[in-house]
Amino acid sequence: MESKLKDLAVRRGRITAGGGPKRVAAQHDKGKMTARERIESFLDAGSFVEVDAFVEHRATDLGMGDIEAPGEGVVIGYGTVAGRLVYLFAQDFTVIGGSLGEMHAAKICKAMDMAMKVGCPCIGINDSGGARIQEGVDALFGYGNIFYRNTLASGVIPQISVIMGPCAGGAVYSPALTDFTVMVEKTSNMFITGPQVIKAVTGEDVTAEALGGAQVHNEISGCASLMFADELATIEGVKKLLSYLPSNNIEDAPLMPTNDPVTRSCPDLAGIIPDSPNKPYDIRDVIGKVFDDGDYFEIQSLYAMNIVTCFARLGGRSVGVIANQPKQLAGVLDINASDKASRFIRICDSFNIPLVTLTDTAGYLPGVGQEHGGVIRHGAKLLYAYSEATVPKLTIIIRKAYGGAYIAMCSRHLGADQVLAWPSAEIAVMGPDGAANIIFKKEIEEAEDPVAMRKDKIDEYKRNFANPYKAAARGYVDDVIDPSETRARLASTLAMLLGKRETRPAKKHGNTPV
Amino acid sequence: MFKKYKVTVNGQSYDVGVEDVGSAVGPAAAPVAQASASAPVAPAAAAPAASGGAVTIKAPMPGTVLSLKVATGNPVKRGDVLMILEAMKMENEISAPSDGVVAAIRVQAGSTVNTGDPMIDLA
Repeated sequence: MESKLKDLAVRRGRITAGGGPKRVAAQHDKGKMTARERIESFLDAGSFVEVDAFVEHRATDLGMGDIEAPGEGVVIGYGTVAGRLVYLFAQDFTVIGGSLGEMHAAKICKAMDMAMKVGCPCIGINDSGGARIQEGVDALFGYGNIFYRNTLASGVIPQISVIMGPCAGGAVYSPALTDFTVMVEKTSNMFITGPQVIKAVTGEDVTAEALGGAQVHNEISGCASLMFADELATIEGVKKLLSYLPSNNIEDAPLMPTNDPVTRSCPDLAGIIPDSPNKPYDIRDVIGKVFDDGDYFEIQSLYAMNIVTCFARLGGRSVGVIANQPKQLAGVLDINASDKASRFIRICDSFNIPLVTLTDTAGYLPGVGQEHGGVIRHGAKLLYAYSEATVPKLTIIIRKAYGGAYIAMCSRHLGADQVLAWPSAEIAVMGPDGAANIIFKKEIEEAEDPVAMRKDKIDEYKRNFANPYKAAARGYVDDVIDPSETRARLASTLAMLLGKRETRPAKKHGNTPV
Repeated sequence: MFKKYKVTVNGQSYDVGVEDVGSAVGPAAAPVAQASASAPVAPAAAAPAASGGAVTIKAPMPGTVLSLKVATGNPVKRGDVLMILEAMKMENEISAPSDGVVAAIRVQAGSTVNTGDPMIDLA
């Protein structure tokens, strides 16, 4: 037995050494940790249990027969984060560039299958040169299996992709199929075709960073949800993200006790909103005052900044907040904002996280670019996502809520359970200027002083319609509240709605506009 | 080979000597310019390097320029408000996407702009 134990230790030692000291040093020189170091810093100390360490590839073509790949270039297993079970896999760039072959993929699939079976989040740490070309179609088979599982797991367990190195070609579709993609500044890239291919095909010169770096995907493409300055900050960010999510679709997110009383009055809120409806303000100032301990966690904070999507807590319960941002593009709804918000709403609904919507938008953005870009179908995503969601839906109308944008921002008509309005709310079919021009066209034209008449009529419309009371008179708004009561009322409403049950007609799945 | 050049920087001219000592020699990389006033030349050389991040701020929405907060030549930091664009009945702050210097202002208060119209060049 003793010699057998010794043999086991030797074999295990070879595997945990990964690609050997030289390649590990090269990894460190790039400011990157090894797969095992990442796992250690991510999981609670001592909680990691490795699975499938002894898996080997069985490729023989193109010289693969002689190549040893310790651990098959990927480390998988389970452990705990803040005491909660997670499954994870971490690609090991030091072992043949973390390249993906048949057995490498089989290990990843095992981690995903187990996470599905036990109902816990699955975290993937990506750092791979791509398909192991020597393995040919078996590598493609491997990718396909992963994508298929990503899709089946979608909406069942939270899936988080952490990009800590290259992630190119077909490999990027796995992150795209998961709920969140988190990138590290400067050391991670994602692209379907890399700089060399682009150079060969279109002649464009572009660096990997400019093509698919963290900043590009967080600011321009919207393919990433979050980015952090380095690997440790990224790992802390993912842990914080996990704290807002339940382990699976039949559980609730963990309750986080807080000393911030739910009845706390927010006297400063009224002062944030400028008196003139034409003046912008930062909606995050409102969010920071309403939710527990002033804390919130933005998703896609650099993309479509005209809408804010973030997780926060109310009385210790996780909520997803969707808020127009008047400070950016007048808080309009456009293609990108609709895309961002609808994705966030669907994540929240999948994982039983109630929705809190803060409305103050100038409307849908007019323009040829928007119309030709398909704002109709993209904007429809927002309506679809809100209507489809069965979690508690709370809406606060802060200021402007006109026309289609009023409907889209989780109005009563899309199934909001409770709609509250501040006295500053303007809920109407359209803005006073436009409305007066149409309704009083004749009076204005025939008046002795059309300019004065027009101003009179705009003022009249403002007085009578640009307020929350017409909507409240129909019951579309449940109550008009003093802004200082916002936190207390939201918390009370959320507590009231905890038992909410709402079903949808049985179907295979809806046909979401995409 | 030794050549003499006259270089004008910010309206002030300098006599500069340049010697070609061949490319194979290591120290040749070191500048051999013998400027009669070397100090003022250095910042002038640095200026083109800083303009690598030149960027044009385009109108994000159709609207009217309400006011300009900067003038040509002003240095700006990322996030500084450059102008107010009234669009969608909101006085939108248009801020600098990166640090730089205002190289050109292509609009004035009252100008009507469409989505994508260039408004301010930063260098």
